[in-house]
Amino acid sequence: MNTFLNVLLSGLLLGGIYALVSLGLNLIFGVVRIVNFAQGEFIMVAMYATYACFFFFGMSPYVAVFIIAPGMFLFGIIVQRLLLQPLRDEPLMQVFTTFGLLILMQNVVLAITRGEGKSVAVAASRTVIDLGIMKANAGRVIIFIVTAAIAGALLAFLRYSHAGKVIRAVIQDRDAARLMGINVELTYLLVFGLGAALAGVAGSLLAPIYTLQPQIGGNFILAAFAVVVLGGMGSVAGAYIGGLAVGIVESFAGYYVDPALKQAIWFLIFIAVLVVRPSGLFGRKGTEELGLRQH
Amino acid sequence: MTMTRRTVLAAAAMAAGLGMAQAQEPIKIGAINPYSGPLAQYGDEATRGFELGVEAINAAGGIGGRKLVIVRGDAGNPQQGIAAVEKLVSQDKVDLFMGTYISAVANAASDAAARHGKIYFEAMALASDLTERGLPNFIRGGPNATHFAERSVQAMVEFIAPKLNKKPSELKVWIEHEDTIYGTSIAQVQKRLLEAAGAKVVGVGSHNFRAIDLNDAILRASNAQPDIWVGTGYVPDNTLLLRTMRDQGFKPPVAMLLGTGDSADFREALGDFMDGVFVVGYPHADLSEAFAPGAAAFVQTYKAKYNRDPVAPQSLSAFTEMMILRDLLTAAGGTDMQKVRAAAAATDKPLKTYTNGYGVKFDEKMQNQRAIPNMVQWQAGKTVTVFPTDAAMAGTTLVNIPRAK
Repeated sequence: MNTFLNVLLSGLLLGGIYALVSLGLNLIFGVVRIVNFAQGEFIMVAMYATYACFFFFGMSPYVAVFIIAPGMFLFGIIVQRLLLQPLRDEPLMQVFTTFGLLILMQNVVLAITRGEGKSVAVAASRTVIDLGIMKANAGRVIIFIVTAAIAGALLAFLRYSHAGKVIRAVIQDRDAARLMGINVELTYLLVFGLGAALAGVAGSLLAPIYTLQPQIGGNFILAAFAVVVLGGMGSVAGAYIGGLAVGIVESFAGYYVDPALKQAIWFLIFIAVLVVRPSGLFGRKGTEELGLRQH
Repeated sequence: MTMTRRTVLAAAAMAAGLGMAQAQEPIKIGAINPYSGPLAQYGDEATRGFELGVEAINAAGGIGGRKLVIVRGDAGNPQQGIAAVEKLVSQDKVDLFMGTYISAVANAASDAAARHGKIYFEAMALASDLTERGLPNFIRGGPNATHFAERSVQAMVEFIAPKLNKKPSELKVWIEHEDTIYGTSIAQVQKRLLEAAGAKVVGVGSHNFRAIDLNDAILRASNAQPDIWVGTGYVPDNTLLLRTMRDQGFKPPVAMLLGTGDSADFREALGDFMDGVFVVGYPHADLSEAFAPGAAAFVQTYKAKYNRDPVAPQSLSAFTEMMILRDLLTAAGGTDMQKVRAAAAATDKPLKTYTNGYGVKFDEKMQNQRAIPNMVQWQAGKTVTVFPTDAAMAGTTLVNIPRAK
C-alpha cells in the first residue's frame, strides 16, 4: 500500500512537470494553430537564463522567474511578429521555421556553454519535504503547486475576461471572429507571447531540479506533445489533467512494468484515446479538423 | 624480453638511418576529435594531452630525428569524421591518425583512414566492437568498455566487499544502466562477472538517458536493498539518478558510477552528496610514482603551459597514448601500416610502465590489454584515486562507506 501511494505521488509530481510544460505549448497549438517545435528550446533557454541570473547575481530561480517570464513574453512576440506572421498563409513553412529555431537555439547555447552540464544549486534543489507517505524534492512540490495555480488562473482568464473571450472566439472560428471585428493577428501575437512566457516560468522552476544541457528541451517536449493531443488542443483543463494522467501512467508503468517500457505504454494509451476521441479528452469536438477547414 | 629489446634496438637503429635521410620531414599526426559541439571540452582536453606529449618527444629529438606535428580534424559525428580524414590526407598530407572521443566517429574515421592505408591509433573511444572489425590499420592503445566493466567488478569483489565486512558471495548488487548498446553491454559483462564471483545480482534496471523522471528506477533498486548500487550512464541521467536517490532517502552502503561521474558538473549538481561515491574511469593524475612514473611531472608541465589543473583525466590518458605511439613508431622505424602493426604485436611492456599506469600488450585484434581504468572516490568535493590500491597515493583512506548521508 505504501509503495502504491509512493508511486502514485511521484506520478502526480511528475504529472505537474508535464502539465507545466504542456500549458504553453497547448495555448500556441490551440489558438495560433502552430506546432511550435521550438517550445522545448524556449524552456531550455529560460533554464539557462535562470542559471545566468543565479551564477552572476546569486538570484534565486523563484525571484528570477519574474524577470524571465516577461522576457520570454517579449521574445515570443518578436518570434511571432518577425518569423511566423509573415508566413501565416503557409502553415507548413511555419512549422519548418520553428524547427529551424530549435536547431539554432540549441547550437547557440551549445557554442556558449560548450556542452558542460550546469546546475542551479539553490536550497530548493536539495531540500526534501516529508509528505508522510514519501519524501519529495521541494522543487518538484513547488512546481506542482504553481502549475495548479497557473492552470486555475488561465481557466478563469479565458472564461471571464474580455481578452479571454476574444481568444476563445478565435479558437472557435477565426474567420467569424475577424468578421466580428476581432484583431486576430494581435490575438496571435499576445497568445504566442503568453505561451513563451509560460515556457519561461517552466524553465525557471525546472532549472533547480535538473542538470542543464543544451538538448534538455527535447526531453520534456515529446511528452508535452502527447499531453496536448491527449487533453485536447486549446483546452487548459485538458493540458492540466492530461499532464497529470501521463505522469501517473508513466510512474505506474515504470515501477510495475519496466522503466524501459514506460514511454511505449503511454504512447499506446495516447493512440487508443485518439482512436476513440480524436479531439482529445477535453477538446471541443471538431477542433482537430479546424486547422484543415481553415486552410 | 630480450627478444623485444633486440627488436627495439634494431628498429631504433633503422629509424636513425631513416631519420638522417628525412631529417627535415616531420611526422604529421591527424588528431580526430570533437572541437566544437557538446563534447568539445573533452576533445580539446585530449588534444592538450597529445600536444604536451608531442612537445616532450620533440624536445628529446623526435622519432628517429623526425619531429612530430599535430594537425586537428574536427569531428562530432561520423560524416564529419570521414570528411576530416579526407581533408587531412589530401590537404595536410598527414602520415597517420589518432583519435577520438566518440566511438561512432572512430568507427567511420578509421574506416576512411584504412582506405588511404594510414594507421589509426585509437586513444579514447570505448566501444568494444571497434577492434572486432579486423581493420588492418586500427590499433587501440586505450581501454574499451569491457575493461570498465571488469575493473568495476574487480573493485567490488577485491576492495569494497572487505570494507563492508562481507565475502564476495554475500554481496548484493543492483546494476543500473542506460538502455543503449553502451550501457547494456557494460551491464551484461558486470552481471556475468559478479555471478561468476558468487555475488548476488539483486536486479538489473535500464532507463532512457533522456528520461526526466527516474523515481521508478530508484524505487525498484531501493526495494531490492543492495549493498552496492552501480550505474552506467551519461551526465544527465547519472546526475538525475543521484538526485532522486537523495530525494527518496535511498542509502545503499556503496554507490558507484561508470563512464561519467568524475567531472566538476557532478560536484556542481550534487554538492556533498557526492562524498563517498566511487567512479570507475580514465586514470586521474593523483597516482603514486611507482604505479605511474611521470604522472606528477605531467601535472606540473600541464600547469606550466595552461595555467591551471587538468580539466579532465582525458589529457593524462592522451599524453600516455602519445608515448605508447612513440614507442610503436620507433620500433617500426616509421609510419608504414604493416610495420607499425608488426611492432605493436611484438611490444610487451608490463603495467606501470607509462605515465598513467598503463602497459602495452596487444591481443590479435590490436586491443591493448594493459590499458585499464582506475577507480576514484569523491572526498570533500575532490576525486581521489583509491583503486587499485597500489595506484593510490600513500595515506589514502575512504570516506562515507557505508553511506551515512
